[in-house]
Amino acid sequence: MILTGVLLAVLGLGLVGWFAARGRARLLYTGRGSMHSMPAYHGWHLALWIVVPALAAWLVWQAVMPGLVQGAVFATPAAHGLPTDPFQLGAIVAEAQTIASDPNAVAFNPEAQGLVEPFRQAQTKFGLIGAVIVLIVAFAGGAFGFTRVRPDFKARTHVERLVLGVLLAASLLAILTTFGIVASLVFEAGMFFKDVSPIAFLTGTHWSPASTMGDNINNNFGAVPLFWGTIYIGAIIAMVVAIPLGLMSAIYLTQYATRDVRKWVKPLLEILAGIPTVVYGYFAALTVAPLIRDFAASLGMANPSTESALAAGLVMGVMIIPFVSSMADDALAAVPRAMSDGSLALGATRSETIKKVLLPAALPGIVAGVMLAISRAIGETMIVVMAAGAAANLSANPFASMTTVTYQIVQMLTGDQEFNSPKTLSAFALGLVLFIVTLILNIVALRVVKRFREAYE
Amino acid sequence: MSKSDWNSPEAVRRLAKRHAAEKRFKLVGLGAIVLSLGFLALLLVIMLKNGVAGLDWDFLSGSDSTDATTAGVWGAAKGSLLTMLVTLLLSFPMGVLAAIYLEEFAPKKKWIEWVEVSINNLAAVPSIIFGLLGLAVFINTFQMPRSSPLVGGLTLALMTMPVIVISGRNAIKAVPPSIREAAYGIGASKVQTTFHHVLPLALPGILTGTIIGMARALGETAPLLMIGMRAFVVTPPDSLTAPSSVLPMQIFLWSDEIDKAFVQNTSAAIIVLLVFLLAMNGIAIYLRNKFEVRW
Repeated sequence: MILTGVLLAVLGLGLVGWFAARGRARLLYTGRGSMHSMPAYHGWHLALWIVVPALAAWLVWQAVMPGLVQGAVFATPAAHGLPTDPFQLGAIVAEAQTIASDPNAVAFNPEAQGLVEPFRQAQTKFGLIGAVIVLIVAFAGGAFGFTRVRPDFKARTHVERLVLGVLLAASLLAILTTFGIVASLVFEAGMFFKDVSPIAFLTGTHWSPASTMGDNINNNFGAVPLFWGTIYIGAIIAMVVAIPLGLMSAIYLTQYATRDVRKWVKPLLEILAGIPTVVYGYFAALTVAPLIRDFAASLGMANPSTESALAAGLVMGVMIIPFVSSMADDALAAVPRAMSDGSLALGATRSETIKKVLLPAALPGIVAGVMLAISRAIGETMIVVMAAGAAANLSANPFASMTTVTYQIVQMLTGDQEFNSPKTLSAFALGLVLFIVTLILNIVALRVVKRFREAYE
Repeated sequence: MSKSDWNSPEAVRRLAKRHAAEKRFKLVGLGAIVLSLGFLALLLVIMLKNGVAGLDWDFLSGSDSTDATTAGVWGAAKGSLLTMLVTLLLSFPMGVLAAIYLEEFAPKKKWIEWVEVSINNLAAVPSIIFGLLGLAVFINTFQMPRSSPLVGGLTLALMTMPVIVISGRNAIKAVPPSIREAAYGIGASKVQTTFHHVLPLALPGILTGTIIGMARALGETAPLLMIGMRAFVVTPPDSLTAPSSVLPMQIFLWSDEIDKAFVQNTSAAIIVLLVFLLAMNGIAIYLRNKFEVRW
């Protein structure tokens, strides 16, 4: 509580410092060229000297304070006779800590109740010490900064150097995120591969992670049915829907539609891309799946399941249409006009020009777009969770229930919470495979697009 | 066929065939668009038909419940608001600053290329992977509270930031060099030029991209499923660390209920979510049209 107040005080001091330094710098100003930096930069310079070191001190204190508080509490007489088992001790300390900060909490443990008062005292004491330290740092920084308000001091250069540092740090966050993804996936998947051999995982055809009690764990984590389900739904069924519809929409919009039609239809198609996937999933489960089940029954199939690869794939395909369409749009627009003009001038009709000249010329761009679309489809989660099913089937029957990599990741991580079982860890191994495959698709596609654009420039 | 006799029956037949093919092709194109938009219309009509009767004040102001008639959407909506707040506060400044650095200051060096490659790839990484990251880093390593808007917001911020960086870079790139040269010409430093002139001119474009990224984050479910934001929230969350749910997650949870009465709730919640998303996209389009400057 005290420390939050101190934070506000430091910011207030920073504001005071800003005005003080600016005012002082204005007094020093004696005419054109008499100072290196504008007065406001002196203000910023001082404010930063007050806030930044104090903030650093605050963070450090925030990190070391819990340890100091606990040490002080254990030194009090109330802490005598506590259990030595670290697990029990931890529970009691945690409980006392909650009660100390929240007056409404009730103690379950009499020993915890006894620790509450020492905890409060220690927290107040160390809070005050921390506050004093932070304020001293703020004043020291401020004093040092204030001595530097001189006409020849390059305040702007110093402030700008810090701004550049902040900008650099922000752009490094992207690398940090990538690194975090790779590190966490590799680390957790590594734990998984200690129990299960990678070869059994990548080539096995039997997936039943629930029965991990068996003597040979390798036989239960064969992920091939998941890979097949993912490819069948995301890369085959969805693309059979999305490629023709998306490509033909793009051709119609760029080659035939009038400007007004284009102006209205394009945003409408983009709405299709903006609908959340959970809505598509619900639509697939509520409307499309029963239709497909009835259709399968009318074809004479016995006991068709409600959850089918076809339902999930169809809806996913619709979701991808605008994506394919806009990629194809870009690819077609990149083809030089002279090429289609030449073809038209030779007497070819528009459709002949499109089929024989435009499409072949735009093919690399379109293929790259399709690759990006596939990478998006195989990473899609909610539609398959809601419509595709949990059974790991290795079948080519579109009416069968089929499971995917993303479905299994969700399944493994939303059930029970024992974290280090092979079952939960398998989710990270699946995630790693998914990450690598989408990464390759993206890199290759982006490279193709780049080369394709350069070819026509 | 004789040399170039356009009136011979054979030539006429060929021309007619080619024109018929042309018409067929055009019709197929039109059909593709009609089919796609028809699907959109069907989806909206079904949701409206199922859900519109459930939209009343009790629904909009209530929280989750095991009883479909008293269950409402406000608890989840508040969770969404808190989560989006965290996401915006983190991803917007970080995204804009990174975009400025990469576009205006970055030296042409190998490691800058790595930053660019990793941003472009992050924008295309499946959202569920970000959920795994959030679970492994924020919850298991940093021990942050599970199912809280704080962790949800952090996870979605990492996902949204690349989108903001990419749109921000395009907006900054669109500011003509003459603006910068004019500022240098009257003695502004590079930082001054960027923050006083380039950034304000690029801001509408950056905001448009930000709103679109936020709309995507608002509709996202999969990563939040990973970090356990599926709490059964009877009272709306009152802090960033309280267990909470979000709108799309509420839709997912209700869609799993066996009780048929929840179909209406699910569809009504979908309508609420879509209204939010359409409003955000509408604002983005309005901003783009109003402030877009063609240099």
